[in-house]
Amino acid sequence: MPPDVDMMAMLRGRRVVVVAGAGGVGKTTVSAALGLGLAAAGARVAVVTIDPARRLATALGIPELGDEPHRVEPAVVEAAGMRMTGTLDALQLDPRATFDRLIAREAPDDAARDRILRNRIYRHLSGATGAQEFMAVERLHELVDSGAWDVVVLDTPPARNALDFLDAPERMTRFVEGRGLRLLLGPRAGAGRTGWRALQAGGHMVMSVVERLTGAQLLTDISEFLQSFDGMYQGFSDRAAAVHDLLASDSTRFVVVTGPRPEPASEAVALWRRLADERYPLGAVVVNRVHPEPGTTGAPDGLAGLLRRAGAPDPEGLASRAATALEAARARAAADAHEVGALSHALSGPPLAVVPALAEDPVEVAGLAQVTRALSGGARDPGRGAGVAPPPDQARRQTT
Amino acid sequence: MPSPPLTDRRLVFVLGKGGVGKTAVAAALALGLADRGHRTLLIEVAAETRTAAVFGTAPPQDAPVEVRPGLFALSVDAERATQEYLSIQLKVRPLVEMMSRSRAFHQVTQAAPGLAELVTLGKIWDLATAVRDGRPVWDRLVVDAPATGHGLALLQAAASVRDLAGSGPISDQADAIERVVRHPAATGVVVVAIPEELAITEAAEAVAIMHQRDLPVACAVANAVRTSPFGPGDADALRAVLADPAAGPAERAAAGAALATVDGAAHDAREVRALGDGCALPVAVLPVVPDLAPGSGGIERLSAVLMADPALGGADAS
Repeated sequence: MPPDVDMMAMLRGRRVVVVAGAGGVGKTTVSAALGLGLAAAGARVAVVTIDPARRLATALGIPELGDEPHRVEPAVVEAAGMRMTGTLDALQLDPRATFDRLIAREAPDDAARDRILRNRIYRHLSGATGAQEFMAVERLHELVDSGAWDVVVLDTPPARNALDFLDAPERMTRFVEGRGLRLLLGPRAGAGRTGWRALQAGGHMVMSVVERLTGAQLLTDISEFLQSFDGMYQGFSDRAAAVHDLLASDSTRFVVVTGPRPEPASEAVALWRRLADERYPLGAVVVNRVHPEPGTTGAPDGLAGLLRRAGAPDPEGLASRAATALEAARARAAADAHEVGALSHALSGPPLAVVPALAEDPVEVAGLAQVTRALSGGARDPGRGAGVAPPPDQARRQTT
Repeated sequence: MPSPPLTDRRLVFVLGKGGVGKTAVAAALALGLADRGHRTLLIEVAAETRTAAVFGTAPPQDAPVEVRPGLFALSVDAERATQEYLSIQLKVRPLVEMMSRSRAFHQVTQAAPGLAELVTLGKIWDLATAVRDGRPVWDRLVVDAPATGHGLALLQAAASVRDLAGSGPISDQADAIERVVRHPAATGVVVVAIPEELAITEAAEAVAIMHQRDLPVACAVANAVRTSPFGPGDADALRAVLADPAAGPAERAAAGAALATVDGAAHDAREVRALGDGCALPVAVLPVVPDLAPGSGGIERLSAVLMADPALGGADAS
């Protein structure tokens, strides 16, 4: 296996940490554990998660997560054996509330704002799944802008394409700009001003077809929607550019999370390469839930005797089943080690952090702290790491 | 009136958090239905699923391919479905070509949130209602849906569009699609989770949303549930070995591995109960099957266990 990396040292001083990866690999857990580690090391940290509501809340001992940041009690963290020198806040993305705030900020006046907020197309748009990716980066931008936190950790939404959120601001800007739509809708949506008059003949024809399919009401609503966005595209497109600049700057690090299985690993490789191609600042790849080696290669030949001494009714049978369990644990560890090696080879170079599999997924701070320790380069050396002491029950909770 | 068993419903959506094994469950169900003599279509929503890893054949987008006797697979892609929809609706070839070539039209279809879900659902509905020689083309359709949020958006796509478009053919079609998707005799949604708190929370929340929207949730599936060949007395003896100073490293490791198996199975059993309580649904339980590759026998084993589970039988979601 490759050497462990201390991610807290790597991420120290960054303002944004984006955690990406395939679904089901433990992105939320890794985001929370990174937030915990950075806060323990002294930073004022905000962790932004997507949904469902109780995910991070459960793990952080917060009753529920809302759109506004919620402080994690230092006592909860300290009870898990960690010193907390910074602060840790967590919040859950509310795409609609974030979108409404964006409209309020960008609208030229109150009347324009209300017109948009009431529009049926807008109500639909702000609740659609595509808006979630856009609003995740918008919320990130808001939090960074506020200056209230040293670092914001973003747990990215479960998207079909794990990097959809990178294009989201531009895609959404294109939609509200509605060049294509304006062209099709013609004078109704003020397309005359775009100077594409020459192309409008074809546009009319396309639109009359669309109108036949959707009915006229929808087109009227869309026209109103686009007209109420008049004068706001510049704001939207400036915003999209600012978000892109922030994500591409040296203040940001991308962390790709995967599991020791071929499918998420190949997605992680694709993600990493795309990030590298587009020159986003790369942090590390986290391989989550790796089964550790049982620690010995010998055969448990004396087990039946020991079990007989312990009073087991069928010591031979039990010893044989236990030996099978040991073989299975070894096979699992070997398969995971092979997967980590293959990933390291495929990526040739980036730092790899390995998080050992826990008996259960962390649903409280004590469990998260173990992940934090592993991410601090302490998987095999629990003494190291950013102010993290191993909790007393560490050995019990690890699968063997 | 009790809803019919899941296996009697024509259209089944398999939903769940990313990484819980939706593809495996959808494939196992489709295989089981085909084995019972139903002409079955397994639908994957493009760029999302991994049917090829199970059946060895990547499902094409143009026409279904037979991957097992009586079991066909197809991949539905939103862009392709949009073009198909247009050519059916407009009938006039040059008009379709003009629309397809129109840059403005492409910008609109790519940017409009919810449109991809709608045409995808429309295509699925189209397949589900297709008739040839007076008989349905497909006896059963199993949809390997995208991860929870996008999967729910897919199921609600018709309702959203009907609410938006006041009148016209699209609105009428959305209505027709929605009637089928919501009909508990025709359609069933299976929610898949693994025995982990986060996956179960997400499953329970998805079920709550579906109840709210009148979507016909049929049952839950707990996938990759660990079992243990050890009894309660075994654990005591194994713990005694760990405490025995005479035990060598290999003996300790074996006793430790056995105890971890016991703990893992107990943990998973608790989580399976939590899934049933959280969703208020019958739960089908599937074992850990590490290898689902073609020829490994993995998918056949999973299918046999799933089809024998009583949760698929007389489940009543209402």
